[in-house]
Amino acid sequence: MNHNHIFVKIILVFTRLFLAAIVLLPFLVSSPASAAPESWQSLSHAQKEALAPLAQQWDSLPETQQQRLLKTAKGYHQLSHVEKQRFQERLTVWSKLTPEQREAAREKYQAFQKVPADTREEVKQMIKQEQQQKAQQSDTGTNDSAK
Amino acid sequence: MTTKLDPGKVAQLLTQSSRQLDTSTLSALAEARKNALERQLVRSPSTALSTGNWTHNLTPHSGQQWLATGLLVAILMFTAGYWKHAREQQISELDVAILTDELPIEVFVD
Repeated sequence: MNHNHIFVKIILVFTRLFLAAIVLLPFLVSSPASAAPESWQSLSHAQKEALAPLAQQWDSLPETQQQRLLKTAKGYHQLSHVEKQRFQERLTVWSKLTPEQREAAREKYQAFQKVPADTREEVKQMIKQEQQQKAQQSDTGTNDSAK
Repeated sequence: MTTKLDPGKVAQLLTQSSRQLDTSTLSALAEARKNALERQLVRSPSTALSTGNWTHNLTPHSGQQWLATGLLVAILMFTAGYWKHAREQQISELDVAILTDELPIEVFVD
């Protein structure tokens, strides 16, 4: 009888929590109040420097994407020179992807990090060789057409 | 003129008369008592939830209950906030990693 009473009390506590969660969920899931669209002009010098390739289309980007890019740009100034270059070169392509494509890319990247280090290195070498071959082919093609 | 009933005497009379009952009647009474007690045990938890006034049960009554509910809600909000912040942080780190990795972005994008 005592156990049943405790069981009923536990159920009531969980039901209250569940109801509270339903009431609070929209506030918890929604973006913070600071998620208002930000014009390119209102960005700081550091933010403009990191996001420079997006200067032209920045004001037309959805506000959620703007917020995400601003958070990503926070780490820009800790990058090496080569990394900064890559970051800016890829930023335009990255911003043109759909949210689903970006999420899929994150999942793929995470999965790739779980691959054993030696296998990962082999894949990296293979891709580098492929890129070099492509670069050589395109150079040859350009030289042939120039002749 | 009324006669006052002494509960002690009544109990004594009932005990005496029960001693005069035959064994089969006594065992039938014992069985009926046992069944009645079992039914009571089965009903008691369900009555707490099936009173038809369940919203009354869900509302905290005492200050202590309000405090406990408030505390639980605060813990829930803090946990959700922390989880959301951690997830945002993780996404930002992943985005930076993809944008700066040795491998070209096309490797990870379909």
